[in-house]
Amino acid sequence: MSLFWIVIRQLAEIEAMATSKKVITREEWEKKLNDVMIRKEDMNKLVMNFLVTEGYVDAAEKFRMESGTEPDIDLATITDRMAVKKAVQCGNVEDAIEKVNDLNPEILDTNPQLFFHLQQQRLIELIRNGKVEEALEFAQEELAPRGEENQSFLEELEKTVALLAFEDVSNCPVGDLLDISQRLKTASEVNAAILTSQSHEKGCFWSKCMSSGTCALFTHIYAGDSNDPKLPSLLKMLIWAQSQLDEKAVYPRINDLSTATLEDPAV
Amino acid sequence: MGSNNTNKNQDLGLYFLEMARASSSMGVEDEKEESPMELNTINSSGGFLVVSPDKLSVKYTSVNLHGHDVGVVQANKPAPVKRLIYYFEIYVKDAGAKGQIAIGFTSETFKMRRQPGWEANSCGYHGDDGLLYRGQGKGDTFGPTFTSNDTIGGGINYASQEFFFTKNGAVVGAVFKDIKGPLFPTIAVHSLNEEVQVNFGQKKFAFDLKEYEAQERMKQQMTIEKISLPPNVSHRLVRSYLLHYGYEDTLNSFDLAGKSTVPPISFAQENGFDEQDIVYALNQRKTLRQLIRNGEIDAAFAKLHNWYPWIVQEDKSSTCFLLHCQKFIELVRVGALEEAVKYGRVELAKFFGLDEFENLVQDCVALLAYEKPQESSVGYLLEDSQREIVADMVNAMILSTNPNAKDFHGCLHSYLERLLRQLTACCLERRSMNGDQGEAFRLHRVLNSGKKGKC
Repeated sequence: MSLFWIVIRQLAEIEAMATSKKVITREEWEKKLNDVMIRKEDMNKLVMNFLVTEGYVDAAEKFRMESGTEPDIDLATITDRMAVKKAVQCGNVEDAIEKVNDLNPEILDTNPQLFFHLQQQRLIELIRNGKVEEALEFAQEELAPRGEENQSFLEELEKTVALLAFEDVSNCPVGDLLDISQRLKTASEVNAAILTSQSHEKGCFWSKCMSSGTCALFTHIYAGDSNDPKLPSLLKMLIWAQSQLDEKAVYPRINDLSTATLEDPAV
Repeated sequence: MGSNNTNKNQDLGLYFLEMARASSSMGVEDEKEESPMELNTINSSGGFLVVSPDKLSVKYTSVNLHGHDVGVVQANKPAPVKRLIYYFEIYVKDAGAKGQIAIGFTSETFKMRRQPGWEANSCGYHGDDGLLYRGQGKGDTFGPTFTSNDTIGGGINYASQEFFFTKNGAVVGAVFKDIKGPLFPTIAVHSLNEEVQVNFGQKKFAFDLKEYEAQERMKQQMTIEKISLPPNVSHRLVRSYLLHYGYEDTLNSFDLAGKSTVPPISFAQENGFDEQDIVYALNQRKTLRQLIRNGEIDAAFAKLHNWYPWIVQEDKSSTCFLLHCQKFIELVRVGALEEAVKYGRVELAKFFGLDEFENLVQDCVALLAYEKPQESSVGYLLEDSQREIVADMVNAMILSTNPNAKDFHGCLHSYLERLLRQLTACCLERRSMNGDQGEAFRLHRVLNSGKKGKC
């Protein structure tokens, strides 16, 4: 070991003592990492879950063949779901609504908020395309009655209609509604709703999971929106777990997720 | 090949040898802890109270004179810690003369003639004044008083490190838990005819514990979900995983699809991602994986002899050993038992007596003993995961021939795996610093909790 590293390590230890944190050397930490048992089939499942929830239907099919991992959702349903998602992302909201109803009319019937957001997106697209009269008519006939039922819908409606008041929407306070991110937001809401309806057909595993006392830690990560892909949640959890451990210990961290490089504790 | 490389090669082989053996005992290890089931009749303040024969209720039978004749009784076991929440309840059958009933938690050395909360290392919610006592003489304003016919609950939330109490099914409040070590559920009675029944979960609780747990989990989830990730990091990790293990067809479909999403996902590597290194021998790795997954071990051997002769040149290496074992297993799978015996004599017998190989050889040979080997104790050998381990080993061996391969771990673990190891290690470390309190993190259960048939 070079003198430099010896000094660095000593400094780290001194700093840790000052804050009474436990120091875990790289060597000790690597031993702990090696003791962790990660099953290959679990990683395969994680990857499959990502492919399926993100809609990579061909890749999921190939992965099933190459790795023998069974997807937890019928792959045939991915294509339909992705078609809906893509329609919203491209601004074809009417088309998307029709497709959702073809899949399962109950999805929109039982989810007034989703339906409102889709209609709102439709209004946004009309405004974007400069169809002012059509937009006003649509807002009054389709959206206003829903706003009467629900205060937060009304506020969102007012905000959307405000787009019409500005000649230069790119500079107006509600201009972000016209941003691509608004479409993506609506699209992922529809995506999640369809996934939920599909997994309900498969059973109520989250609710059961949460009620069984023996359930593993952090299964609840996915309990809220069970159909977000698990991989991003686990990555967030890694960031969280590291910051939690930071409070008590100095140890080698992974700061760059995409290269997974273990870094020596910062001095 | 230099000796350095040979060493690396052996280490890699041994790693997978261990995996192959470990898979026989990789059942999910549940951490079972004993829970309190009844009251401890031995270590209670006898003389002042009577515990019923079922050890689930107590009654104060004398006239109290001072603060050192409290009738205290602990549960027979401390509250289990390896979970999110521990909780128990009492039902006040009779508030007696003064209603000086308390519920709480105490340490093992607690003085059994004092109210929980009056002494250090204890905490108690008292019925006569509704105050919460935490080891100081004076109580803190906490909740309502409680009396006959009330159901009172006491709990420990290990995630937030808090005690909490309930009255008739509603949370009264929570306080920081500053006591270390095992804690016993404790009840106290302190005036004539006070009678209390305790419920350690044998009966339904008045409080909706499941709902409370769900809410606590949700709170933590909210915090975590708010964390933002660098753009496309999940895509990148999945991609490097596919590259690492040589899932070439999946990779091609994935890349193709990535180009047509809205917005398209670019994998341009701005941070010097060492992609060139893992594209290394991608097609050969894919081919070998397919052969092994199909059980065509002879063909895999032939390809290896052709492409990477030095990987299979040493016939007593772990690599050759695992391939030979797999060949043997495949013969058993198709019922070619005679051939299997012959093959075993030629190729496996030489590994008998070598420590690191012995267990696996024995397990393989044991397959012959069963009419239905799948259902036997060595049935794990016939599972797909065993083929996968052999395929992963060959994959790692080939990766290690890459002159640019940086280190041993690079050949073994994908980025994804390194992150999952780090996550698990962080959770375990933090938990062990917390006196092993709270739930353990197990990726396996996180991923498998959604399986059908569990509902």
